[in-house]
Amino acid sequence: MDWYFWIFAIMALGGALFTISYKDILPCAMGLLTVFIAMAALYLHLNAPLVAVFQVTIYAGAILVLVLFVVMLLMSPGEKIKKAQVNCANRFMGAVLTVGLVLLLGLGTKGLSEVLGSRELSENFGSPGQLGDVLVKKFILHFEVVSVLLLAALVGAIYLAKKRI
Amino acid sequence: MDITTVTLNHYIALSVLLFCLGTLGVLVRRNALLIFMSIELMMNAVNLMLVAFSHYKADLAGQVMVLFIYAVAAGEVAIGLAILIALFRHIKNVDINNFNIMKG
Repeated sequence: MDWYFWIFAIMALGGALFTISYKDILPCAMGLLTVFIAMAALYLHLNAPLVAVFQVTIYAGAILVLVLFVVMLLMSPGEKIKKAQVNCANRFMGAVLTVGLVLLLGLGTKGLSEVLGSRELSENFGSPGQLGDVLVKKFILHFEVVSVLLLAALVGAIYLAKKRI
Repeated sequence: MDITTVTLNHYIALSVLLFCLGTLGVLVRRNALLIFMSIELMMNAVNLMLVAFSHYKADLAGQVMVLFIYAVAAGEVAIGLAILIALFRHIKNVDINNFNIMKG
């Protein structure tokens, strides 16, 4: 099923390119949605159905809707993103740094799969039951800490949304 | 090695490319909301890497880590957008060139 990977990889890369290059912000958000959906499909391919479901519900659902909500709140309709003082030096630096990062990461991870080898996947690897088992047996402390973090985020968001800060 | 079989390296390459596109977005775009979206893109690239390693090493810890990252991402979005709205109330736009209160 290799075509599966290629289709969604191209979809993700295309969506990402669109997101960072288009001049209007709402289509950019739609490009981001494409990336999220393609990612969910790739997670399914990688035996991670539960993560794929969360990807769709949390990222494509909650986070993107929140971002769209703020976009519509802050940007006036049809407003193009200003090309304020095309800062060539800035863009050039960005491009050079990015190419450098691609090369660094690409070379650093070259041939990693041969080094690591691969293991046989157990029966129903990545099923929600197995994942939950690992989550509450090995990572129970982290799980609890995350709940505190979410509470802190909740309080912080309410504080920031007050009239005067 | 057959080039058409999808290996861990393919996923690493895809993830690295997505991460770098996100970095490029952060560096070249001037709109705070778009920078925010680019950060989401980078976070997704990292998630993909974790899940790919989890699959090829047959270790579920990677997937559990992704679930934690989702929780952190949700908090980050809530706080980040709240900060952005608070900034918008003061400065009246979301162009980061105008966010220079702390400029030394």
